[in-house]
Amino acid sequence: MGRFLERLLQLIPVLLGVSLIVFLMLALTPGDPVEIMIGDQNMTAEQEALLRSDLGLDRPLPERFLNFLGNAVQGDFGTSYFHRRPVSEVISERLPATIELSLVAMLIALATAIPLGVAAAIHKNTIIDRIATVGSLFGVSLPGFWFGILLLMLFAVHLRLLPVSGRIGFESEVPSVTGFLLIDTLLQGRFSAFLDALKHILLPAITLGLPMTAILTRVTRTAMLEVMRQDYVAFAEAKGISRRRILFRHALKNALIPTVSVAAIETGSLLGGNMIVETVFGWPGLGRLVVESIFVRNYPLVQAAVLLYAVTYVLMNFVADILYTVLNPRVKL
Amino acid sequence: MGNFKNLLFASALAVILPLQAVDASEIRVGFTADALTLDPANHRNRETETIIRNLYDGILTRDADMKIVPEIAESFTQTSPTTFEFVIRKGIKFHDGSDLTAEDVKFTLDRLTVEGAMGDGQTSPRKSLLGPLKSTAVEGNKVIVTLSEPWPILPAMLPVQEVVSKAFVEKVGTAGLATQVNGNGPFKLTEWRKGDSIIMERFDGYYGGATDIPPVGKACVDRVIFKVIPETASRVAALLSGDVDIINELPPFSIAQVKSNPNTEVMTVNGTRSFFIALNNKGKVFGDIKVRQAVAYALDKKLIIDRILGGNAVSIDGILSPAAFGASKLPAHDYDPQKAKALLAEAGYPDGIDVVIDTEGAYKDTVQAIASVLAKSGIRAKVEVSESAILKAKWDPKDENPKGDMYFTSWGNGSLDPYDIFLPTHRSGDRGNSAHYANPELDKLLDQASSELDTAKRAGLYNKAEAIINADLPYVYLWVPQDIYGVSKRVKGWKPSADSRINLHDACVE
Repeated sequence: MGRFLERLLQLIPVLLGVSLIVFLMLALTPGDPVEIMIGDQNMTAEQEALLRSDLGLDRPLPERFLNFLGNAVQGDFGTSYFHRRPVSEVISERLPATIELSLVAMLIALATAIPLGVAAAIHKNTIIDRIATVGSLFGVSLPGFWFGILLLMLFAVHLRLLPVSGRIGFESEVPSVTGFLLIDTLLQGRFSAFLDALKHILLPAITLGLPMTAILTRVTRTAMLEVMRQDYVAFAEAKGISRRRILFRHALKNALIPTVSVAAIETGSLLGGNMIVETVFGWPGLGRLVVESIFVRNYPLVQAAVLLYAVTYVLMNFVADILYTVLNPRVKL
Repeated sequence: MGNFKNLLFASALAVILPLQAVDASEIRVGFTADALTLDPANHRNRETETIIRNLYDGILTRDADMKIVPEIAESFTQTSPTTFEFVIRKGIKFHDGSDLTAEDVKFTLDRLTVEGAMGDGQTSPRKSLLGPLKSTAVEGNKVIVTLSEPWPILPAMLPVQEVVSKAFVEKVGTAGLATQVNGNGPFKLTEWRKGDSIIMERFDGYYGGATDIPPVGKACVDRVIFKVIPETASRVAALLSGDVDIINELPPFSIAQVKSNPNTEVMTVNGTRSFFIALNNKGKVFGDIKVRQAVAYALDKKLIIDRILGGNAVSIDGILSPAAFGASKLPAHDYDPQKAKALLAEAGYPDGIDVVIDTEGAYKDTVQAIASVLAKSGIRAKVEVSESAILKAKWDPKDENPKGDMYFTSWGNGSLDPYDIFLPTHRSGDRGNSAHYANPELDKLLDQASSELDTAKRAGLYNKAEAIINADLPYVYLWVPQDIYGVSKRVKGWKPSADSRINLHDACVE
């Protein structure tokens, strides 16, 4: 428990550092939100100054940073310049879509990578192994936006099996309970709406999960090979235990330790991937909102979102550590 | 077991019900961006405007030829250099069934222009769009607008301001108005799924819209959905797969694909955005008019328009679009590499010049083509791609000592009035004057034109001003591209509009 608290306390300097870096990066990047907001219009200098002071951009940098910190501690992340609403409100509207997409992507990745990795290890140096290793090399190297558009062209335009963009069709509308459409639709017994939501999430989740699938396949394969060389496996074989039992009861359990912890850490990379995938598939999540906000220099929103990313990343690392100790009692936190 | 039966029954219903809903006529628009807010006074964003304009009507609007006509107003007159009178039409209803009155119009204008009046002590970011509007007053069904100085373009700015209900705004507040709509437009809000789509349905109590723009009456379709698809390739895919019926910003390289699809077609309309290359008039090289002229002669505009823009642009020789107020036919600098070389030699550069041309990533191909054409006349331009916010800072008109050489950029002119494009880009030190051009004679002409009430005289002043810049060439004026839309063939009665609005009032589906 003490260890746990210590880890949580470590978050504080990390978040402070991240806040400062993001604030400085935004402040030092050329570009002016007021200019962007006014766009191509005629405007007098006084009117421009009024707008600038409205947004608090006429204040010196240190003051702006301290204001941000002071308010952030109280849970107030300011007002989005462009939405003209509280940042926390704008972000929380988009967050469920991103979390749902990330979870499904992770599920797909785990469900594909573990069997694939195991199969590659068992059939080492066979055609199955080659397909898995070469395939995962492709998976890591393919740019997400390109792969996504390929999937779109094939499944949405040519085969017309899946929709091009969005989270759910108009007809499948369900009242929000959890914010996760796959769960909400089931809770309300709307099976056709569930299928619709599933169809919408499939392509973006596959695209998002692809690099993770590739990495996890390789990790599982390596770990499995490693474990299969251990004495206890040889001993089990000598005892005459069936190969199936050795593989799944003895070997896989240990081989999964690195897989699970890498998966937890890789969740952080899903956050980055979200920005691209959400843009390609018109997914109404946080990633796309952040991309749009960076382009128009919507400082408060970018700051809050990056903080959120940092917290998630640190927490997922923490979860990885905990999982590691749970799965492998020899290691203590 | 009973529960299980119920569940089965519910699932069966759920499967059947949506099929019935599909029977309602519906148009889906694949649109580049989501609305930032649904409050007409609290944004400065063209996409937001496009969406909101289907929910709310304006005091005035524009017809297909961009002529300004009354919409919520029945008529309007200018009674003195600084006063306008708007007669408000009777019988207009808000979506909640309440009547729209002159008080609502006054409230709308005050909310836009009075400091701190938008709600929660805030001032509307659209205040500057109404320039010197000083005060408003109601007399019966008339709204009298008083300006602090003569400003002839007030009517041109009113089509982009929508009328809100005073009672409703007072009830829900500014925060409520961001997501709730009690409009007076042809459609009412069904649901806003933020970041995903905005769903609207026909308002049956609609008064019919501008009488000068037939057909007058209720909207044709039952439902309209703006689906947000920011990525170009995905937007095109959505059109081709039949997911959406109209998409905006169809890229020129996808035109052939949309045309060859049996169910879709391409529609274009002359846009309102002028493209040009800013030349650093304060710099050593482009401070010399001969070099600026050389660039103009070295550029084969026709070739670029035909090959890179697929012919979807109109060449310009001044800043104004041919459709804009005050535009006139100007002498063209036709492609002449020999003349360009000779001018460069006269300016002291017999071996040509080496310069950098800045551009945003979206225009990289076009600018690379421009650079290769310029190279034939000895203007060796290196293309440097940056993000727009960074380029704006590099070419800041307030910078005393600008570093750039050439900057491929553009300026939009939704009002089609020179006030919004000519002044900011050409007046000394003004906020869009990236060329750092300073000409007191031109400044005087432009200021005079801003307050000239006689339309013909005002147009004459802009003609003169355009003649000056056409000769002086602070910029190399390029083209006004057409806005390109991909449209499903089942959509009837809809045409793209030069001000980039997507008005679905008259659109029907087969």
